[in-house]
Amino acid sequence: MNHADWPLSAPVNLTWEITHRCNLSCIHCLSSSGRETAGELELEECLSIVDQLAALKVFEINFGGGEPLLKDYFLTLLRYIHEKGMVTCVSTNGTVFNDEAVACFTGNPLVNVQVSLDGATAEVNDRIRGQGTFQRILNGVERLANRDISLSISTVVTAINFSQLGQLKELAGSFGARLRVSRFRPSGRARATWEELRLNSRQLQELADWLDNDTSILTGDSFFSISREENRRELGLNMCGACKMTCCIDPCGLVYPCAFLQEDEFCAGNLRETSFKYIWDMSPVFNYFRGLEPASCQKCPRYNMCHGGCPAIAYFANKDLNQPDPECLINWTADLTAGLLAGSSK
Amino acid sequence: MALRLAENVQVRKEDWGLLFYSPARHGVCFIRSGDRLYPQHFDGTWTFGDMVVDIAERTETPAQPIEQAMRKLITNLVERRMIVDEPC
Repeated sequence: MNHADWPLSAPVNLTWEITHRCNLSCIHCLSSSGRETAGELELEECLSIVDQLAALKVFEINFGGGEPLLKDYFLTLLRYIHEKGMVTCVSTNGTVFNDEAVACFTGNPLVNVQVSLDGATAEVNDRIRGQGTFQRILNGVERLANRDISLSISTVVTAINFSQLGQLKELAGSFGARLRVSRFRPSGRARATWEELRLNSRQLQELADWLDNDTSILTGDSFFSISREENRRELGLNMCGACKMTCCIDPCGLVYPCAFLQEDEFCAGNLRETSFKYIWDMSPVFNYFRGLEPASCQKCPRYNMCHGGCPAIAYFANKDLNQPDPECLINWTADLTAGLLAGSSK
Repeated sequence: MALRLAENVQVRKEDWGLLFYSPARHGVCFIRSGDRLYPQHFDGTWTFGDMVVDIAERTETPAQPIEQAMRKLITNLVERRMIVDEPC
């Protein structure tokens, strides 16, 4: 799909990091969350943004952070969005559900709840999300299970939890939930842990095989660039959707291409000063991303299936958006082939 | 038989046509229909025949080619679970 042929008047969905406040301190947190940032949006400002998004017929808002449920007005905001008929997804660490939140989620077709869990055992999960969190998260999931709530367990795939993906799927199933996996990307605190937690080429190959063979696993983002089979790509895009189909609003109302590219140079505008529609249509940053075709990828035989993969990873690895996603299928296949050749020449 | 959006599916008008979205599958469907089709055509009150007549009148085009193109389009949307064709 060429964006120029199918320009959208508004995103299909967007990520809204409603706060940086979080009671956990995960070593891979994409937004380095912990303390609330000074100047986070007030409720009235959020309602005004929702009015704009509803008028543009944005289909879905995905809330993250930070821990959204720690924002004092979050459930009020969520109910307001639902009154507009918009679908929401709440990405939560699962440790702070109260009765009001559970009631808001129950029997509500407009909300999907994703509880983050990064291991099928305390030993693995707690290395990433903090001591004692495994049991606290399971207690939270237990509160939501069997309640007519659209529930998934969300795992960022790292070298630490890679071997537990099958167990995580079973664990999610035991709560009536599906497993959703996301790529580990070098943003926020994950920059410091990138080399330690990233998958190697062999693991990327195994992950691609696993996803190809099990379409029940939900994937929310750019697995298209590491995955082989058509059946997997049909579940998502064949290119990064940033600025074409999605974008990100930060807690202070700044707009970025995606949650993993919240760098000053990629800030497209401030919703306290400019309308969402103007930013979406006119931002030079967004228009640059819409035309981005990494030069180094254009002769690649998989270009039409990938379009360069994830720009956030490419940018972190090379400080150059014209470079390929270093974890793309072509790159990990080349790594493995080189390894085999080196082995056979010994 | 009336055409309506499948459960939880939403649609909006774009300059080039219609954009369907299925949140359950995070699936999108781009239909290059220009100004021939509108989201209201899938509100459950329009039959296939109503839609063909409406488009033919507004575009001053013979009904037959519209019917042929529409049949393909509707079959595609039903197969992709974006709309359902059900009794009025």
